[in-house]
Amino acid sequence: MPEDPNSTFAEDLAELYENAPCGYLSLRPDGRIFKSNLTFSRWIGVSQLDLLDKKFSELLTLSGRMFYETHFSPLLRMQGFLEEVAFDFVTGDGKKLPVLANAKERRDDDGNLQFTRVVIFPAAQRRRYERDLVDKRIAAEGAKSEAISERMLAEAGLSEELAIAELREQFIAVLGHDLRNPLASMEGGSRMLLQEELSPRAQRIVTLMQGSVQRMSGLIDNVLDFARGRLGSGFALRLDADELLDPVLKQIAEELQLGTPGISIETNFNITEKVYCDRDRIGQMVSNLLGNAITYGDASRPIRFSAGTKSGVLEISVANSGVPIAQEAMERLFQPFFRGGVRASQQGLGLGLYIASEIAKAHGGSLVVTSSSIETRFTFQMPLRPTTK
Amino acid sequence: MPGPAKPPSAKKELLRREAVRCSSFQSIQSNFVLRNQESRVSVLERNNVKLSGSGERSMVFAHGFGCDQNMWKLVAPAFESKFRTILFDHVGAGGSDLGAYDSAKYASLEGYADDLIEIGKELKLKGAVFVGHSVSAMIGVIASLKDPAIFDSLILVGPSPRYIDDGGYVGGFSRAQIDELLESLADNHLGWSAAMAPAIMGNPDRPELGEELTNSFCRTDPDIAKEFARVTFTSDNRDDLQRVTARTLILQCREDIIASENVGEYVKQHIPHSQLVMLNATGHCPNLSAPGEVIAAIKAFV
Repeated sequence: MPEDPNSTFAEDLAELYENAPCGYLSLRPDGRIFKSNLTFSRWIGVSQLDLLDKKFSELLTLSGRMFYETHFSPLLRMQGFLEEVAFDFVTGDGKKLPVLANAKERRDDDGNLQFTRVVIFPAAQRRRYERDLVDKRIAAEGAKSEAISERMLAEAGLSEELAIAELREQFIAVLGHDLRNPLASMEGGSRMLLQEELSPRAQRIVTLMQGSVQRMSGLIDNVLDFARGRLGSGFALRLDADELLDPVLKQIAEELQLGTPGISIETNFNITEKVYCDRDRIGQMVSNLLGNAITYGDASRPIRFSAGTKSGVLEISVANSGVPIAQEAMERLFQPFFRGGVRASQQGLGLGLYIASEIAKAHGGSLVVTSSSIETRFTFQMPLRPTTK
Repeated sequence: MPGPAKPPSAKKELLRREAVRCSSFQSIQSNFVLRNQESRVSVLERNNVKLSGSGERSMVFAHGFGCDQNMWKLVAPAFESKFRTILFDHVGAGGSDLGAYDSAKYASLEGYADDLIEIGKELKLKGAVFVGHSVSAMIGVIASLKDPAIFDSLILVGPSPRYIDDGGYVGGFSRAQIDELLESLADNHLGWSAAMAPAIMGNPDRPELGEELTNSFCRTDPDIAKEFARVTFTSDNRDDLQRVTARTLILQCREDIIASENVGEYVKQHIPHSQLVMLNATGHCPNLSAPGEVIAAIKAFV
């Protein structure tokens, strides 16, 4: 560009070279400095005279020198220039001077290297920023692997919990079977005793014992069902309508009546249609509902037990008088191991209503409860031909 | 219902062990997958092997720490008329298969030597010439000891059997200096790896072209570069030298801070059938700074 002699802004190129806002170095083919500018001399803290004939690589840190030999110099030879390379100089007073540099070779027409020009820019802040990024990345990777190991720890804990739970339920199932056998002997024994000539007192005691055996048998059934349900086999239903339901319900009511003298159970059966169901299970459900009414109801008032069919639906209900169920208890009534406040001697496992509701569900039916100061009533409804399972 | 009685600390310990077992199992699995992949990718693809030239004998060129097979671009073509020339990239460098990189395998130079032997077997080399620069000089020495049939001549450019001083042995670096160097690889992340990317080999007027070439030239994964530097600068192969049976040429530069003249002399003294040629070239890369001298010395030897 031609210079305008009239312009007051004519650039002083010699002064620009010396005081440019970047460092200039010119290297001979052997890598020695033959020219440098004042800016670079100031930054590195070595006079321009002392820089003369010094090897460029001798101004670098040890790792900078290795970098120069293994990266800088080969690349410069291969492509004739370098841009944005990073390395550190060592200043006259021994400090590190991090820089970015561009370099370009000048070759003659035969391709022989004449000299190399290097431009230097300080890069302390950029280097700090890069270091920061690397640190953050390392920290992020550390946090990631920590999170992974924590997750695995949690999963390992979870799988152990599951294993313990499984073991516990198997234990319950096995225990249930072992309890049944002696119980069956007791029931058989008490039945045989009742056929003997007994004093009225002995007869009353044996009858009470039979009631206790029945109650215990029901509890064991519930425990087994609960364990089975959790073990994944669920409630296996044998559905058919080959036999009538009434006799089953009557028998249960009579047995419970017998086992708990002083309680009266009023029955009202009106089953006019065939019911497609598992009668043993329905019996178990009714037994649980009656057992619940006996435990929690007012013993001086009768339990009202009714069953009937109407417009394609079987409805069974059990109602007792007494203190109504508290609202907050209503919500958890059908959950396993829920027990209302009763005398310790009467406490069950809290599985009766849970099992009853599961049986209702398995039949495609429902079990609902209403409770007021007048009565507490459990109502079971199911279609005469269940659609599920 | 309470669970089995077990002190909480013991339980925690059990879980911790389980977690460790799981994680080590996973890493074994992933290693297994990597190895599998490695065997599927052919050796020639894995090491980006490039064949050229024609001749009865083969000449293998191996690059050192820092760049890739482009290091030989001014030397190798001079041998294409009389030799089949074979160039390759070490795994982790240039166009090699980065997926084949395995920190355990490449924790010693032997891992790299095994790759070299695999290349030799794949190409059915016998009595070939090996030309290795910098750290690859020792990789070639190790390979020739493990399988002496592949190479009958070794040409070692700027070799060093050990960079760290040891008693009377002068490698050129103190342990502290090498530690500082390895530390600085982490400290100047961009300096050693990513900063080498801009427009290398490219035409400044056509940056897109430069970009394309950049990706296959002197590219180093920063983490692999760090490990390669550690393996290189902490290696000690002095005991291997006297067992070399191949005839050997050592090319020594002046003012080479990485492999100084006394180190080249040490190599000559310890390799039985060796000779040393002192080049006028300075620095560590005569293959780039003085290719003519290097070519002449190799031609005179082979």
